[in-house]
Order: sequence, then C-alpha cells, then structure tokens
Amino acid sequence: MPDLEQLKQALIEGNWKTAAAATQAALAEGVAPLTIVTKHLVPAMDEVGRLFECEEYFVPEMLLSARAMKASMEIVRPLLAASGAEPVGRVVIGTVKGDLHDIGKNLVAAMLEGGGFEVIDLGADVAPELFTEAAAARNANLVALSALLTVTMPSMRTTIDAFRAAGLREKVKIMVGGAPVTQQYADAIGADGYSDSAGSAVALARKLVAA
Amino acid sequence: MRLKLISCEVLFREMCDSCAHSAHQVDLEFLPKGLHDLGGKPMAAKIQETVDRIPEGVYDAILLGYGLCGNGLDGLTARHTRLVLPRAHDCIALLMGSRERYQQYFDGNPGTFYRSTGWLERGKGLQQLTHQTLGLDEPLEALIRKYGEDNGRYLYGEMTRYRSQYAKLTFIETGLEAGGKFLAEAAAEAKENGWSFERLRGDLAWLRRLVDGEWPPAGFVIAEPGQRLAASYDALVVKVQA
Repeated sequence: MPDLEQLKQALIEGNWKTAAAATQAALAEGVAPLTIVTKHLVPAMDEVGRLFECEEYFVPEMLLSARAMKASMEIVRPLLAASGAEPVGRVVIGTVKGDLHDIGKNLVAAMLEGGGFEVIDLGADVAPELFTEAAAARNANLVALSALLTVTMPSMRTTIDAFRAAGLREKVKIMVGGAPVTQQYADAIGADGYSDSAGSAVALARKLVAA
Repeated sequence: MRLKLISCEVLFREMCDSCAHSAHQVDLEFLPKGLHDLGGKPMAAKIQETVDRIPEGVYDAILLGYGLCGNGLDGLTARHTRLVLPRAHDCIALLMGSRERYQQYFDGNPGTFYRSTGWLERGKGLQQLTHQTLGLDEPLEALIRKYGEDNGRYLYGEMTRYRSQYAKLTFIETGLEAGGKFLAEAAAEAKENGWSFERLRGDLAWLRRLVDGEWPPAGFVIAEPGQRLAASYDALVVKVQA
C-alpha cells in the first residue's frame, strides 16, 4: 500500500508532516490503528535504531524520526485507546533525581512508544517516590531510569530501593541506561536490565515485559 | 620526587599554579577538553595511549588531573609507574576542594551549570567528535542548512532546551582569575540564558595535594603497576582492581 510505504519512509527520513498525512490517509482507507503501529511504526523505528547502531544516523536524525513518529502517534493514540487495544507494555520513564539531562531519555521514550508501549514520561530530576506513585497509579509493568552523570547514578539505586519499600518491586521490571551506566552497575543495584542505546532499549523492554 | 602530570586542559591555570608551588619537579601534559565528549571508553583509551608513551624509570608517579569523568578514567591501567587519581566524580569536585562539598552543593542546587577559568576559555569550537555527542554547539543557521527550516529550528529547540531547564550558573573562583574577564563572561552567560548567577569560592587544596605528593587514601586512589582503576559505584568513587 503506497500510503504505508510513504509512512515508513517519512518516519525513517524524519519528515513529520508526511508521516502525519500518510497516517491520516491510511486510517481513511480503513487500515486499523493497531496495524499502523505494529506493522509500520515498529519496523520503521527498529530501522532507525539500526541506523544509529551502525553510525549512519546521529542524535539529530534520531530526534527527527522521533518527531515524525510522535506526529503519527498523536493521530493513532486516541483511536488505539478507543478500540481497547492493549499496549505491549506500560512503561514509566524518567531521568533520576538530581539529573536534568533528558535528550537520550526522550529518544528512548519515543522509540518505546513507536515500539507499541504506553509511555508515562515523568521528565527529569524525578524523585524516587514519583516513580513509585506513577507506576502504581498507571499499573505499569516496566520502569526505565536514565542518568547521565556518575554523581547522579546513586539515585538509580535509591529509586529501586523505593520500589522495594513500597512493596512494588515484584510488580515491575526495572531497566537502566545513560552514558556512564554499565551492565555491572545495573547488576550491582539489582536492576533487571541495561541497554547502551535507544535502539537496543526497545528490544530489551520487549524482552522484560514478555518474561 | 619527579612526577608526571597528565591533566585535562580545563584545569590548565589551576594545575600550572599548583605545580609552580610544588616542592617536586612536575612535568605537565594537557589533553583536550573534547575527550570528555567522546564517551567513557574512547576517552579512557586515549588517556591510556598517553600513559603508555611515558618512559619507564623516569617518574616516581604519574598524576592524573581528572576525576572519574563519566568513566573516562575507568579501566586505566598502570604499566611500569604507579598512577594517582583523585577520588572525584569530575573536575567540578576538584575545583570545590572535596567530594563532600561537591555532593552537598550538587544535591542542594539542582539545575546548576558550572563554570571556571578553563570551562570558559578552553575547548571552544570543538567539532562533533562522535555520533554519540549531541552537537550542542551547532548554530541555528548550520542546522537549517543541513535539515531545512522546519526541522532545523526543531533541532535547535531540542538542543537548547536545557537552557530553560537549568536555573543557575555557578562560577567557581579559585583566586587565579586575573582581571575581571572571567567573572564578566560567566555573569553574561548566566544573563543570556535567564539563569541566576552565583560566585562560589573554590579551593585548590585537593589539586595542590596531588602535585605535592600528599595522597591520603580518603582523597586519592593509587594503582600500582599492573593494577587498573575502576568506578567503584560507592562514595569513594574509584577503586583499584588487580
């Protein structure tokens, strides 16, 4: 279908206006909202992730693809909700307390949404109790924590502790990421997973909610 | 002692001053501020290359004018000469004079942008070194040229949005600031971004101890030949591994 091929290209090329128009056109032709997400947004964002991994795409290109994806999701999201379609998972995401860096976190949030997740983005400098409250209130099964500074990484540990203290640790999987974060650190603080890029974050998220 | 100091150029004035007052003979080498943008592993590799060029038997110790610096010092291995690294997350801690003071100030002042002599005058106009960096210095015109008017403006907005998220610029003064130009520049940057401005008295004691050969374990980690430095993920910041 030409519209959906156009949608895929628009997402990969970071052309939000074409992405929005192609989404509208597809819906008008009777393509189901869920099909648009699973058969077109998801593969397109997987491709964008791959292009970043192999260093063809840089952060600006990712941001533009995320923008196009968001434009498409703006249209599809209310229809998905209305149709009762269940997301792949519900993820609460944020940059931890003390840390204001959010571009990477925003990219992961966009990739997760394009990947079929319902995303509750708490922003940056997020206190542990805000994470636990949001996860409980929105019935999340996944929590994604971001930090860009070694000096704020301890907040990841205190956030995981907060989930334990609130009796919520068993209800969620917790993944961590950000430039200075490592698998070793993730293991040390009892996180369920770690990924080193926005692209691989989606694959990890899928794996964690399926477990 | 005869000491070799490998330091980030951000600490240029502070290190030169400290070395000039040291009782020891210190050979200085400065590395570009841009290493910080490469990410942990590539930065560590570059510093290791520099360490590896140092001849054996000349120095009693190799001093590192760095902190953990986003894991840029993680994995650094001592070859024939011991390595001495301050237990600091980064240079801001070093300029403040202690881990505790930095942690306290950092926790109490979220959304603070830090400036010092080196942060103001060093490493300007760096090219984007890797696809991992954000290219935060790209001017609007360059982004429009590359991505078109609409996407160019959007990217510029994304890259500069941090300006509205930060609340304050803190200028760390160590007493080495000749004339008023650094203060004026820092104050102007704060004003331009709509941030409040604070002058904080820095403390060169930690840097002085580094080049004076005073390395109490609470403030410094020492890697003997064959050992490697590593992030410790605790209050001591760094540790050694066999």
